[in-house]
Order: sequence, then structure tokens, then C-alpha cells
Amino acid sequence: MDPVAPPGLVGFGRWAVPLLSEQLRLPRGGARLRALAALADELHRPLRATEALNAGFLQQLKVLLEDEDPLVRAKVCEILHMLAAHASGRHALLAASFLPPLSELLEDPPCRRTVYLLLSRLSLHSSGGASLLTLLPKLMKRLPEEEEEELQVLLLSLLTCCFQVDPQAALRSDAVSLLAPKLSDGALRVRKAAAAAMMALSVPMAGKLQVCEVLPAVAALLQEDDEDAQLNASGVIMFTAVTTAGKLRCLHLDVLPVLLKLVCERHDEEQIRRRRKPLVIYALRALTMLAETPEGRRLLQEQLPLLRRRSEEEEDQDIQQVLQTAVQVVTFSP
Amino acid sequence: MRTRDERTSGAVGPKRARRKFRPRTPEPVQGRKHLEVQTESFLEELSDIPVVQEIECQTDSFLDRPETPIFIPSKTGKDAETQIDEGDLFDFEEEVRPILEILVGKTLEQSLLEVMEKEELAALMAQQRAFLERRNNQLPEVHRLQEQERRRREERERRMAEQKRALEEEKEVAEKMAARALTQQQLHDLVPSVFASLRREGYFYDPVERDVETNFFPRLVDDVQRVLQKKCRARELLDVLSFTPACRRVHRSGKILPQAQ
Repeated sequence: MDPVAPPGLVGFGRWAVPLLSEQLRLPRGGARLRALAALADELHRPLRATEALNAGFLQQLKVLLEDEDPLVRAKVCEILHMLAAHASGRHALLAASFLPPLSELLEDPPCRRTVYLLLSRLSLHSSGGASLLTLLPKLMKRLPEEEEEELQVLLLSLLTCCFQVDPQAALRSDAVSLLAPKLSDGALRVRKAAAAAMMALSVPMAGKLQVCEVLPAVAALLQEDDEDAQLNASGVIMFTAVTTAGKLRCLHLDVLPVLLKLVCERHDEEQIRRRRKPLVIYALRALTMLAETPEGRRLLQEQLPLLRRRSEEEEDQDIQQVLQTAVQVVTFSP
Repeated sequence: MRTRDERTSGAVGPKRARRKFRPRTPEPVQGRKHLEVQTESFLEELSDIPVVQEIECQTDSFLDRPETPIFIPSKTGKDAETQIDEGDLFDFEEEVRPILEILVGKTLEQSLLEVMEKEELAALMAQQRAFLERRNNQLPEVHRLQEQERRRREERERRMAEQKRALEEEKEVAEKMAARALTQQQLHDLVPSVFASLRREGYFYDPVERDVETNFFPRLVDDVQRVLQKKCRARELLDVLSFTPACRRVHRSGKILPQAQ
């Protein structure tokens, strides 16, 4: 699909990268593009990336990011994406402050997808999340404008990362109302990603109160068959139901039976059980929250034998603990 | 024939000079003519026009002719032959092994490295996810307990506030009751004494009486006074009228009046 053919003259061995970086300095556009394509091919080899970083041509790439030719920009983004696959690459990218020019490129259609992938790789770095926070306003501004499903999912996962680092900043810039339409979007993947972002947002107290507003959409997501969707939705409910308003809303929306069903499903295969473990824990915690209301307690006391039986059958320690806490809360009397 | 004066060529210099002064046959005597005669053994016809012979030649179009046979030099020397059988030069299997090892090794190494890179990324993401899950497992419990604590504390404070308010209200009520008893006691005697003093001061009156007093009596008194005044005036007048003549009479008569009895 590349209209550009890499040049035949790529140096052998140690000379490949330096020669190519020399070619990058050429003012003519065509040669530059070919050199970039060759560089991209070279970097697929594992050890070249460290070489490339040592050769120190990151500054050149930074200049090329602002080139007029969109193909050049797209290629440079790909190269940066490959560099970011290594920990040292990520470190170098963050240290060389690539984030400002990358944030300019968010507006650029051909490079956008690669920039999102690059940013998600950067977030794997230990200080990546903190650096992504500087991009948070731009990312949030892009959220309503993004049309493609895949890009929306990528953007939402990036936002989830940012929210996990500092939810307060996001809440101050009114993130909940921005995310609310995405929760009722058509595609399941978008809704899942939006629910994950909501879960990150509902950790602080102010967030919990704001997320109460969108609980109906979340409850609808809980009914889906997809496990990830159920996981994220039950996570949101678990966090929001800590507040009294949240509890009442959830009871009103009748999520209790759904959560019970999630908890009490039995699977024989070890792998499925392991995969479902976080889902079961979230659902149990949500039930514990809801059991603190009188109505919830009453409903759950009817189901108490079921919970007890489940607790005896369960082998996993964590789930057992959570079950016991739930049973305690249900049987609490003042 | 060229005359001596004409230049035979454009040459100048010694050659020309030499040519000019070259000895020539003297001029013919008058009546005689010189003739050039060849004195060689073979006579030549001298003429200005060279003998020209024209010969024409024309090639025919090429006829097909067979190719020249390849020149095969005749054999010289001795015949010798040789043949390489399998295994004479080298053993393929043996020789290829190191090359193959290198090739395969390098490919495997590179692919392993690439796979490891991908796995490293995947492991990082899995680690992040596991951390998140652990955090999300414990965090809501913490929140719930915090919330519970907050609710209980609020409840406790509310109850304490209520209790305090109830106590205060009771105190207020007690004070009010005491104050009421006191005032009742004081006011109990107050009303009769007030009434008595009022009555004493004359604030309670019979309106008819007052009306009579205020309206009727003054007029009556005025009238009475007027009548009395009239009477008095009449008497005075009478006195004056009767006194002055009596005085005059007394004065005229000059008698001393007996003492009035």
C-alpha cells in the first residue's frame, strides 16, 4: 500500500542507520520519504532500535514531524511507534519532549491512528500517564469530533489512562457530560471503552455523584452478553453505589437480579473461572453496597442461602473473602 | 613559356634568389628556334593531357552463399579428461551445516527477539491491568467503609445535635414556666390594685354624671352667676341710686346723720 519504495542502497550492518539518517537531512522530498520507509523497515529488526536511539537522530525526527508532506509525517509517526515498543525508546521519547509536536498531529487525519497507538504505548511507561495529562484538554476536545469506531475506542482507552492518573482534573473539565453520549453510542466497543473511562472517573467522591446521572445507560450495558462490557458496567455500579444517591438509583434501575445472576453463574473450566474472577468480585462488591440499604438488604436476605452455598463452593480466596463480607453486611442488624 | 620576370612562385628569399640566378640555356639566336628534344633511350610522349583510362566496375547483388564453416583447428596435443563425482569436491551435508546453522539461528534469534518484544509489551499491559484489578477490588470496599463511617458519624452527630436541642428546649420550657408562675403571682394582685388606683384617680366615671358635670353644670353655674350678677348689679345700682342723693342731702343739710342702726 506504500506508494514509496525503499531505496536499494541501504548500508549493511552498523552503517544502515547512520547512512539513512544522513539521507534524512536531504532537502528533497522524495529521497526523504524513501529514507524514512527504509528506516521503518530497518527498525523492525530488534537491535536496530537501540542503535537508532544511540545514534541520536530523534531531534531530526522531531523536525520532520512538522514537515509539510503528510506522507512524511505519517511515516515518522510509524517510526516513533516502533521506537516506543522498547522501554528505552519510550524513555527517550518522553525525555526528548515529543509530546507537544505530537499533540499538533492529533488534528492530522493520516497520522491520527498512529499517534493514538503511540500514546497508548507511551502510557505504559512509569511516568507516561503523568505526561499524558498535559495532553488531556486536547484529547477531550477531540472526543466529540471523532467519527471512526476504532479511533473512538483508542481515544477512550487513552482517556481512561489519563483519568486513572488524575480523575480530579478531568472532573473539573466536565468529563462526565462529554462521555455520556458515548455510553449510548451504537457500537458495543465504544460503549465498553466509555464505561471503562467512567469507572476511572467514579473513583473520587465528586465523580461518583456526577456519574449517578448516567447510571441508566450503564445498567443497560450490564445486560449485554459481552464479558468486558459486564465487567466495566459492574465496576461503574460498584463505585457509584457507595453514595446513598447511587444506591437508591441502582435499586430503582433494578440491577440487583442481574448482579446476582453474574455472581452465581458456575463454570467448570479453570480458565473461564479465572477470566471471570474480576467480574465476580466487582458484582459482589456492588451487591455489598446495595445491601446497605434497607430494601436491598431485604431483597438479599431472601437470596442469602444462595450466597452462603456459593461461598462454600468457592475455592478462590479473594472471592471467598468478598462473599463473606457481603454476607456480613446482609445479615447486619443495628 | 614563362618569362623570366614573372615570379614562378611566391617564394622570397634565398631560394628565389637561387632560382633566379640558376643558369639557363641562352636565348635562341635570331632566326633559330630552340626545340626541346628528349634524349633518353626510351622516348615518352609528353603532353599536358595525362593518359586516362577509364575502367568501370559494378558489383552484382550478393548471392546467397553458405556460411563459412567454423574454423576448427586441427587437433594438436593430447586428449585428457576429468570428471567430478559426488563427494569429490566437498560433502554438501557437512558444508551446509554451519551456513544453515547461522541462517536458521539468526532467523530464530530475530524472530524470538521480535516475539519477546511483543510479549514484553503484552506483559506490561497485563501487569497494568492486574494492578488495576487489584486496586479496584480493594478500593470500593475502602470507599464503602469510609462512606459507612461517614454516615454513622453524621447520624451520631445529628442525634447528638438533636439531643442537645431537646435539652435546650426543655430548659427553655422550664424557664418559661417559672417566669410564667412568677408573673402570674405578681399579676394576681396587680389587677385589683390597678383597678382600685384607677378608680381612685377618677378614671372610671359615670358618663351621664360626667356629661352633666361637664356640660350642664357650667352652663347652669354660668346662668346662676349671671342671674346673681344681675341681681348684684341691680342692688349696686340701687345702692348707688339711693346713696348719692342721701349723701347729697346729708351734705346739703350739713347735719350729722345719726349713726346708722
